[in-house]
Amino acid sequence: MKKLLALLLCVVMMLPAIALAADDGRIHITYSFWGNQTEAESVQAALDTFNAMQDKIFVEPMQIPNEEYTQTLVNYAIAKQLPDCGMVNENAVLYFARNGVMADVSDMYAGEALQPMDCITFKDAGVPVGYSSSNEILVLYYNKDMFDAAGVPYPSADKPYTWDEFVDVAKKLTFDENGKHPGEEGFNPEKIVQYGAFVNNWTWQMEVWALSNGGAWFSEDGKEVLINSPEAIESIQKVADLALVEHVAPLNVIPEDNGVGIGIGSGTVAMTTDGTWRLGTDFPNLDINYGIAPLPVMKEQVTLCTSGLTGVFNGKNQEAAYEFVKWYTREESNWEPLVLTGIWLPKSEYYYTTEEGINAWLGNEKYPYNHDMETGKKVLVDYTMNYAKPACWYFTPNTQITTNEILFTALQYVWSGERTAADVIAEIYPELCEAIIVE
Amino acid sequence: MTAKPMKKMIKYNRAESRTAYLCLLPSIIGLVCITYLPMLASFTLSLFSWNGLGAMKFIGADNYIRLFTKDTKFYASLLSTLQYAGMAVIGSMIYSLIIAMLLNRKVPARGFFRALFYLPYVLPAMAVYLGWKWLFDFNHGFFNYAIKSLGGSSVKFLDASGMVTPSLTLIAVWLSGNLIVIFLAGLQNVPRIYHEAAEIDGANAFQRFCHVTLPCMTPIIFYNLLMSLVSNLQVITPALSLTKGGPGTGSYYMCYMLYNQAFKSHKYGYGSAIAVILFILIAIFTGILFATSKGWIFYEGDDKG
Amino acid sequence: MTTSALPKKHMRISSKRKKERLVSILCTAALVLLGLMVMFPIYWIFRSSLMSNGELYAYPPSFLPPEWRFSNYAETLKVFDYMQFLGNTMTILVPSVIGAVITATMGGYAFARLRFRGKKFLFTLCVGSMLLPSMVTLIPLFLVWAKLNLVNTYWPLILPHFCGGGAFNIFLIRQFVKTVPRELDEAATIDGCGHFKILVFIILPAIKSAMIVVGLLKFIELWNDLLQQVTYITRRDRYTLALGLNIFKGSFNDDWSSIMCATCLSFIPGIVFYLIGQRYFVEGIVMTGMKN
Repeated sequence: MKKLLALLLCVVMMLPAIALAADDGRIHITYSFWGNQTEAESVQAALDTFNAMQDKIFVEPMQIPNEEYTQTLVNYAIAKQLPDCGMVNENAVLYFARNGVMADVSDMYAGEALQPMDCITFKDAGVPVGYSSSNEILVLYYNKDMFDAAGVPYPSADKPYTWDEFVDVAKKLTFDENGKHPGEEGFNPEKIVQYGAFVNNWTWQMEVWALSNGGAWFSEDGKEVLINSPEAIESIQKVADLALVEHVAPLNVIPEDNGVGIGIGSGTVAMTTDGTWRLGTDFPNLDINYGIAPLPVMKEQVTLCTSGLTGVFNGKNQEAAYEFVKWYTREESNWEPLVLTGIWLPKSEYYYTTEEGINAWLGNEKYPYNHDMETGKKVLVDYTMNYAKPACWYFTPNTQITTNEILFTALQYVWSGERTAADVIAEIYPELCEAIIVE
Repeated sequence: MTAKPMKKMIKYNRAESRTAYLCLLPSIIGLVCITYLPMLASFTLSLFSWNGLGAMKFIGADNYIRLFTKDTKFYASLLSTLQYAGMAVIGSMIYSLIIAMLLNRKVPARGFFRALFYLPYVLPAMAVYLGWKWLFDFNHGFFNYAIKSLGGSSVKFLDASGMVTPSLTLIAVWLSGNLIVIFLAGLQNVPRIYHEAAEIDGANAFQRFCHVTLPCMTPIIFYNLLMSLVSNLQVITPALSLTKGGPGTGSYYMCYMLYNQAFKSHKYGYGSAIAVILFILIAIFTGILFATSKGWIFYEGDDKG
Repeated sequence: MTTSALPKKHMRISSKRKKERLVSILCTAALVLLGLMVMFPIYWIFRSSLMSNGELYAYPPSFLPPEWRFSNYAETLKVFDYMQFLGNTMTILVPSVIGAVITATMGGYAFARLRFRGKKFLFTLCVGSMLLPSMVTLIPLFLVWAKLNLVNTYWPLILPHFCGGGAFNIFLIRQFVKTVPRELDEAATIDGCGHFKILVFIILPAIKSAMIVVGLLKFIELWNDLLQQVTYITRRDRYTLALGLNIFKGSFNDDWSSIMCATCLSFIPGIVFYLIGQRYFVEGIVMTGMKN
């Protein structure tokens, strides 16, 4: 009986495997991506548009969970069954490019009116190997109601906080269950009800503070590790001390990719630094009266820009995939679901340097920060054009090892207060130097 | 077909052998094709440097040399693995044996209680660890809230490298529903006659436990011990879904290190070297367990050979 | 037993009854207490599923949800294609569990009762295969399945379980077969039963509860086995429950309350399976004929 049942089930199970795609004379290619339900639907919508537009290529989606994305793609690459194109995690772009997985797309936008910005161009030893599909920068989000309640003026879009001002304001916004602020007589750090600030300590975002403090993590040619400079070390310690010494931030020892969730989104933190995609992904679902401002400044005004990439993978359908990716990565192809919702900032200079370009997104009433265009222009447009530096994976090989493995683990000792930043960095410095050497 | 089981027969009975091989055929295929051949391939890889996409480079024992002489995380990983396994095995064995014995008595709503203690184990791992995260969390977790309300000062359950392993073993003990079920099945297999005979002989409950239940349970205890030892030395899920190996190397268990090096950092050769070390480590512990087992296991239906 | 001893014995029995009742009450109390402790984290998970993302991070944590958002479940079910994912999961699980139970029982029986050349060696191999996590063999196996063009079908996730069902399970069955008194099959041998008949008619009924346990362990193992499923299944219409939970993890943000809802929903089949299994569990001893 049981065996029969098993056999029956096996047969049923085989059916989907047999139902293969009919030969319709088109080149069938696969596009791999990760994402939640909404994202999957918008991908499918874009694919449908493309498939309906022409009759030579048919694109099929291939969905892989986010956390296992890169490793699964690598498995498929080892088995020589890589999809024809797909999203690539920032920290894997140079790894893929160096190992001959990605096709050369350096002249994809040659002669086009819209040129992707330089700061979101992935470069291997100076040579462009790919362009991000969008732009994202880091900004400061603040809860207007909490500022009003504390009688503190909102952060200015023209004149960013210095770090000391930032800490002072954070102290005014932090209070324990008796309403006492840090530094006051009788303040109890064990029973804080509201925190003033949370600086997202998700590893890659920490690089911005080294730049802000006049240092860097890596040299611009990607060949040297500079994280052991006093400026870089001090910047890490300053962020850690927000929770450990100043008591203005919640402790976050094992960082996860949910800065807004821990910070401002929890309703118990007044200010949070995080990326601009949160405008579209988090804030529409949060019932918070928020504003945006530039990041506080340690010594230099700076922000970090980054975004994932859509790659064409080498293979027999490379040309069809190239054509699809070229279409897919234009802002217009994802205008409604990704740009106007606030998830993507445009990647082409046109949208930042011309009045009509800016008006097309920031001026559109669907855009989440449309209600305050002046601030939007200063924080999003000016910062992207004048103060944005590329995150380290745009020019440093092996970031999946240096930042995701070595720094991620080691810095946790700093966040927990067990060791100082200087001590930890000194220990891992040789390991980092070894990891960025290119074979 | 009248094969008589003879204890001193050296020659194997042909019919018996044939049945045995037939019964074992699927297992043998499985062992060869889906365990040992791929494992061998993986182990060979430990002599290479390979990033998955590029070319493989033979480097001899370099991966091992690096592991033992240069990688500071390796010893930390070894230590935290042993610490976790030790605490989790002892804790969950004692806990589950006690629960199983309580559940084997005539208590009201026995079925309900059985389901209850087993419940943690059926829950999807991801949900379990997320739920515990909100209990253990330093800032808004329930445990610290309770401690602070009672006047204590907050504990960094998951936020200090020294505390994380004890905290995670607490979850492991809570999760040991599988051991409870196996103990329970074993307790039910202890023949009633033995208990009744002992009772007639005037043995009290404790004596009966020591002289009847325990000896009859030894094969099951051995199995549970082995299983929890092996699976706890291979611990990875809590590190993967809750602590990401941290803080620092506090929960950087060997299996997590292996996964991280091979699949996340794309150092497949290096990951394979860790796999070999892990294999040897677990083999040593298993070997010790088997070697001592002869002295304390009582098999009722043993073939003594 | 002489008549004169009777009254005295009666007294002894009644005092013994009292003592037994006391022990029984103590045991129940202990169970209730431990049960509450075990239930608490489960309650906490359930509570979390009824809260908004903001409420989850609030301080102080609220013991009861500030607002019972059962609508979370409705929202979740809108995007979480529960029935399809469940169907896919079962398509993998049911044959795998059956295959594992059957082949593990055969293997365990051979190791426990039969004598044959190479038994020690095979058994060592079997134990040896438990010593490594399955991720070590993931890539070599994936290469083979890819060569056979079976990626994105369920075969790579099912067929391996027909090969012994894992060393742990073979070993578990072996341990249980060993607790079955040998006299039983010796008696059957005298009646003219072969080894196969002994397995089916003597051993199987006696170790029924162990087989249920194997089924349960396999069930849970497959339920949580994300790594294999991630590797082999990349088509959304073939997603399993474990994979399906990932649809709440976006490229940028995670919707925790939906994840908690979906996980709470995915508990249900595991619990149902346990409840069904538990009945056989108790029956198991009755059928062995060893109850009295």
